[in-house]
Amino acid sequence: MKGRSTVARAALVYLASIAAAFAVTMILVAALGFSPWRALRTLVTTSFRTSFGFEETLKKTVPLIFTTYAFTIPFMIKFFNIGAWGQMLFGGTITAVVALTAGETGLPGVILIPLLLTTGMVAGGAIAVVSGVLKTRYGINPIISTIMSNYLAIQFLNFVATAGPFRDPTEGHPMTRRLIAAATIRSWGIVPQAVVPALIASVVVYLMIRHTRLGYEITAIGYNERSARVYGINFNRTLLLTFLIGGALAGLGGTIEVISTQRRLIEGFATTSGAQFGMFGIVNALIVNANPIAIPISAFLMSVLLVGADALQRTMQVPVEAVLLSQALAVLFVVVTRERLRSR
Amino acid sequence: MNNHRSVVVRLKSVSKRFGPVAALRDVDLVVASGRIMGLLGENGAGKSTLMKILYGLYSPDEGEIYIDGKAVRFRSPQDSILYGIGMVHQVSTLVPEFTGLENIVLGTREGRFQFSLTRERKKIQTLSAQFGLLFPLDQKVSALTAGEKQKIEIVRALYRGARVLILDEPTTSLVESEFVQLLTSLRRFVDGGVTVVFITHKIREVMAACDEVTVLRRGEVQGNLQRHEMTKDSLVKLMFMDRNIAVTESALPLIDHVDVALSLQPVLSFDGVSTSTLRDLSFQAYGGEIVGVAAVSGNGEKDFAELPINPKRITKGTASLMGSPINGWSTVDVLRQGVFYTPEDRNHEGVLNEGSIVENMLLGHHRDSRFTRWGHFVDWPRLRLDTEASVSAFNVATPDIDVAIRRLSGGNVQKTILARAFLRDPRLLIVHNPTSGLDISTVEFIFSRLEGSRQAGMAIVWVNEDLDELMMLSDRIVVLNKGRIHGTFVRGEFDKLAIGASMLGESA
Repeated sequence: MKGRSTVARAALVYLASIAAAFAVTMILVAALGFSPWRALRTLVTTSFRTSFGFEETLKKTVPLIFTTYAFTIPFMIKFFNIGAWGQMLFGGTITAVVALTAGETGLPGVILIPLLLTTGMVAGGAIAVVSGVLKTRYGINPIISTIMSNYLAIQFLNFVATAGPFRDPTEGHPMTRRLIAAATIRSWGIVPQAVVPALIASVVVYLMIRHTRLGYEITAIGYNERSARVYGINFNRTLLLTFLIGGALAGLGGTIEVISTQRRLIEGFATTSGAQFGMFGIVNALIVNANPIAIPISAFLMSVLLVGADALQRTMQVPVEAVLLSQALAVLFVVVTRERLRSR
Repeated sequence: MNNHRSVVVRLKSVSKRFGPVAALRDVDLVVASGRIMGLLGENGAGKSTLMKILYGLYSPDEGEIYIDGKAVRFRSPQDSILYGIGMVHQVSTLVPEFTGLENIVLGTREGRFQFSLTRERKKIQTLSAQFGLLFPLDQKVSALTAGEKQKIEIVRALYRGARVLILDEPTTSLVESEFVQLLTSLRRFVDGGVTVVFITHKIREVMAACDEVTVLRRGEVQGNLQRHEMTKDSLVKLMFMDRNIAVTESALPLIDHVDVALSLQPVLSFDGVSTSTLRDLSFQAYGGEIVGVAAVSGNGEKDFAELPINPKRITKGTASLMGSPINGWSTVDVLRQGVFYTPEDRNHEGVLNEGSIVENMLLGHHRDSRFTRWGHFVDWPRLRLDTEASVSAFNVATPDIDVAIRRLSGGNVQKTILARAFLRDPRLLIVHNPTSGLDISTVEFIFSRLEGSRQAGMAIVWVNEDLDELMMLSDRIVVLNKGRIHGTFVRGEFDKLAIGASMLGESA
């Protein structure tokens, strides 16, 4: 319910910050001896030049949307969920276990897919709510407990992929067997089916925050915890719910990554693209200031850069780090400008 | 003017702006030595700002300060202390974990290399005795009363060599007998060569304490009266000038308090209720009455005000609403029964600062079926309609209801909080210091609202730091001391000294 000028000013902040970040990155790229113009073109247009590139971009966007929400919702009451990464991995791992087990029973996709989506949400929510309870019961800072839960989830994933009964003995690198077709989702042309749950989740989160009592209670605590408590808002209950919902969304992201992109569980996924989703979710949330409407858009733009960065490394041998630097700079510029504008 | 007295402090054409607000405009003030100069004006008139400039806390945008005829420029209170200016603020600045003695010597420049607490103790004892400011030196300040803390602050200023003592609203948390004591001390200061500037918004106190008064209104000097020229009418006129509000000698708006029939059953009733801080309370509030609750700050009045909406805190006894026990109920359960509460600390406990007016209006009504749809959804359209109506009924000055509440002035924030309380006509309203820091027209508005609600049959529990206010509007005054109900006074038998004694825990 902000005025139009505020929106325009916010847009200007973002555009200027991103342009500045690109400028610095391109200077760096030029200093490394590459053509900055070609690099920029690769970075920005790879997603749109080929249908494969576009599909790739959307496939990255979806888990990123989920991990961003996972960070954003507890962040609305000023708590840091650094565990979207682990919650996503845990959701994905349990999904793979259930899919591989249930796959033997020959359940049809219409039953199997909803079952797997639910599985991911329950698993992700469960591991996140542990951090919530550690906070409400024992006062343990969720930053610590969620970071630790990441490592648990990474090791658990690697264990299932490597040592469990699900391992594919024909593959050299440790990974589970392939999921059966009924347990996977595909694409309609260049649009992965995975965007459907992501869009539904975005709408649901938006409605939850802006139009439900729970959303109001979360907002109120974020504004002023003391006043919210005075007027009977149950702080502990709300805290647990934000971690539960955030974790469930991260877990759902993990499920979708497993059944749509990986279609099996691969050892090391946790620390490659899994880590990207986990950490960039936080970055993405901070860029858009936890604004639920801007999250899908920003997640898409970030995925364009991630896909472009991969292409840059493949085609021009520009190190991926150069591009990651531009993202870091963009975040810094946006955050600094926003704070300066606010304090004025 | 007393030409035989030398001028200690002279402020010449002082102006100060805070953003778009002119706090002081071209103010001149002359303080002669050995006098008690009153600085009178309602809240926001610029009294404290002017004295904070003299004390070096603010620097003036324009104008000069002369001490003993010499132009000075203070960059901080450290500078002004060197010139003998001392100030006692409205809110205690003492370290609660230190004793009185430790607080006084804290930050002193005395004896940097060979500091002897025994010697300083002697000095402090002499000062205390000379001016009649007695207090325990070796008890932690957190265990002392507001009056004792004030004495410590005064002695600290004198110990640091203050010749000019600025007292900012010194009576706010004092009971009547402590005020009388303070008057005696003020005379002794003057006899001891100390000049006093006495900031207050109460006409009665100026007439009782001051040799001379300067009246400020909206940052401008309205006039200067000598003791023999002071009358209630002349002071009221200078203070309010163009405003059509009838005021009492405490400079409170005059409200017509008519008789109303009480409800048969108490709306709120405590029967031997104890909590971790309150002991054995038996208390009733009936529909159609205002029950005032008076206490020296820190005697459980905050917990008392919060208790009706937090019945889970009860460890013993029974609390009832309209005859039904509410022990173990949650805040939301109580609020749903038509109870509303407005806390003392409105910015930290009363509102969601970052939120809009509409968002703030929902707080406390967020579980009320009136503003929800399908169980879990907020009925924003309905809330917006009700908020629009309520904001205009309570004269909240705002461009629209989507403005962040932190953009509003203190008075408008308080009106919004009250508007929220009345969003659904409450049966029981608990208000804690609703008028503190507000200007007279807002105070009058709040008073007339309380009186109107009382006439409409509502029960009002009014916890308030200002006894004058309580005595104007309450049907009964209940006194809290150390978490117990120490006395009850009925309208018609209100006696400031007796109530004050009871607040200090003395038996009647």
